[in-house]
Amino acid sequence: MGGLFDAELIGTTIRQATPLILAALGGLLSERAGVINIGLEGKILMGAFAAALGTLLTGSPWVGLLAAIGVGIVLALLHAVATQELKTDHIVSGVAINLLALGLSTYLFRQLIVPREEAGESSVVNMFGAVSLGGLEQLPGLSALLKDQTWLTLLALVLPFALQAMLTRTRWGLRVDAVGNDAIKARMMGVPVKQIRYLGVLGSGVLAGMAGAFLVLAATGQFRENMSAGRGFIALAALIFGRWHPLGAAGAALGFGFFEALQMRLQGQPLFGVQLPTDLLLMLPYVLTVIALMGLLGKMKPPSDLGN
Amino acid sequence: MLKARVLPALLGAGIVLALLTVLIAAAGKPIGESFVIIVQGATGFPRTEAFGPADAWDVVLHDITLLVLTGLSVAVALQAGLFNIGAAGQLLVGALVAAWMGTQTRIPAPLHLPLTLLAGALAGAAWAFLPVWLKVRRGAHEVISTIMFNYIALYLTHWLVVAHLKDPASDAPQTPAVAATAQLPMLHESFLQASWGLGIAVFVALGLWLVLYRTVWGYEVRATGANRDAADAAGVPTARRMTEAMLLAGACAGLAGAVEVCGAQYRFFEGFPSEYGFDGIAVALLAGNHPALVVLSGWLMSALRSGAYHLHAQTGAPKEIAVIVQAALILYVAAVYLRKRRVEG
Repeated sequence: MGGLFDAELIGTTIRQATPLILAALGGLLSERAGVINIGLEGKILMGAFAAALGTLLTGSPWVGLLAAIGVGIVLALLHAVATQELKTDHIVSGVAINLLALGLSTYLFRQLIVPREEAGESSVVNMFGAVSLGGLEQLPGLSALLKDQTWLTLLALVLPFALQAMLTRTRWGLRVDAVGNDAIKARMMGVPVKQIRYLGVLGSGVLAGMAGAFLVLAATGQFRENMSAGRGFIALAALIFGRWHPLGAAGAALGFGFFEALQMRLQGQPLFGVQLPTDLLLMLPYVLTVIALMGLLGKMKPPSDLGN
Repeated sequence: MLKARVLPALLGAGIVLALLTVLIAAAGKPIGESFVIIVQGATGFPRTEAFGPADAWDVVLHDITLLVLTGLSVAVALQAGLFNIGAAGQLLVGALVAAWMGTQTRIPAPLHLPLTLLAGALAGAAWAFLPVWLKVRRGAHEVISTIMFNYIALYLTHWLVVAHLKDPASDAPQTPAVAATAQLPMLHESFLQASWGLGIAVFVALGLWLVLYRTVWGYEVRATGANRDAADAAGVPTARRMTEAMLLAGACAGLAGAVEVCGAQYRFFEGFPSEYGFDGIAVALLAGNHPALVVLSGWLMSALRSGAYHLHAQTGAPKEIAVIVQAALILYVAAVYLRKRRVEG
């Protein structure tokens, strides 16, 4: 057993969880305001592509990050216009955006980025380096957590608390819940419903785009076709598992990140003498979410005006 | 009628053509020539030495079969007001069970094929049950649970094919080939993948059309989908109708998987093409969820795909052109035809 649950596993967990936390919080911004957002997956994928392209063109991961946030916002704007102006079904719009992102990222990848040995992946780009916190990351208790992490991960660890505070303590936060729970009543109370919803959806574009950028600029260093690999849906699961609360969603994302880290660590090796198939470990977040949906873990209550 | 129906359809066709033009031009391919190649891929004409109608229709008819079945899956559920994003997972489970029936069981010839297809359909229905149960009993959104079930199906079938059903004679993660008694005959001797599964798909479409539009049950399903509260008030057992419609939806998708195993792939393998389940969404929306029109929109979509694949094979243009057009088509149809009647949310 020695050395299985060590500092490295914790570090990997947090790294794996970072894009999940960012995307889940993005989904939260949109869904708390009443707009269903199953397009996270597409925004992550396009974000990853834009991050790779921007960094390849300029050499700067900051430009890549900005590009990722930019395409995240564009896709989010599409969702906002479709759902708020054209009154399109939120699910249909999300499905179309995921499909569009899958097609467009692959199409543009083939057109704009010369594939390395035709292997369907870009060459390695400049990445964000590990953040130094003035020695803080060397402290015994914190080193497992903070060693060799990029600033995006630190942001993902702080953001849930910030968002929690903003949702409960600011006028904007109260308005978001008013809109998400009963838009018609909120309008009668003078809340600018559309504006709040646009903000929420665009916020989801920013955070999901950043999640995509993380995959390229902090995790792998290159773009691969369909590299989001379902993370948008795991983030959605984390959001639901965490009952649409920032801390809950982040906690669930960390838990799901742990399964991924454990799966990477085990690589088919036995745990406590039992051979755990990787497929079953990878399946766990989805199974747990279904169990949560069954109400076995307490009552689930989505924002009441979600999807209208 | 003209203004309400024909104009939006023409505009939609115009958008598709414009988008195709842009995507072809941006890929640096000659536009006129590319359109000829797309038409050739979709119909087989103009015929060349290397590529004729038999090649084109082999692909198109194969794709229609799957797109009609997954399109019906999405359409039947939507008629009851349920969004079945889970057709991909139901297809995978149906395919795996069909592969198991086709390889592991010894059933006399006339029964082996029908029982294998039936088992695939039942497996798909079973996979759809828990999501709809969660919906009617727990109020959990079926979109979320069917997405979860897609991934569970993906990993579960992968685990089963690697760990339990793998062909010992092969290194690849795949099952052995299904017995000859469980294989669907081809529509034409020159075809490699277009099987009589198409006949099954069209038969199912006609059957669902009759059932949905000519029976009390179908009327109640549609009433449930149109307005569940009103249907409840009128005495329709809406939870029951939703459950039944979703089981039918799962059966259609499971049948798609079984037909693909028995009529084209002859085995289940890692990376089995489950994305047809998502394509079914576009097919159903384009058809306005009408089972008979699903056949037509399934044909349009498979012609588009076959054309794009052919363009890819001939010129190297990205075949994702078809995916992008499909996404735009979904958005367009949803924005024009499926606007919410509710005033403002």
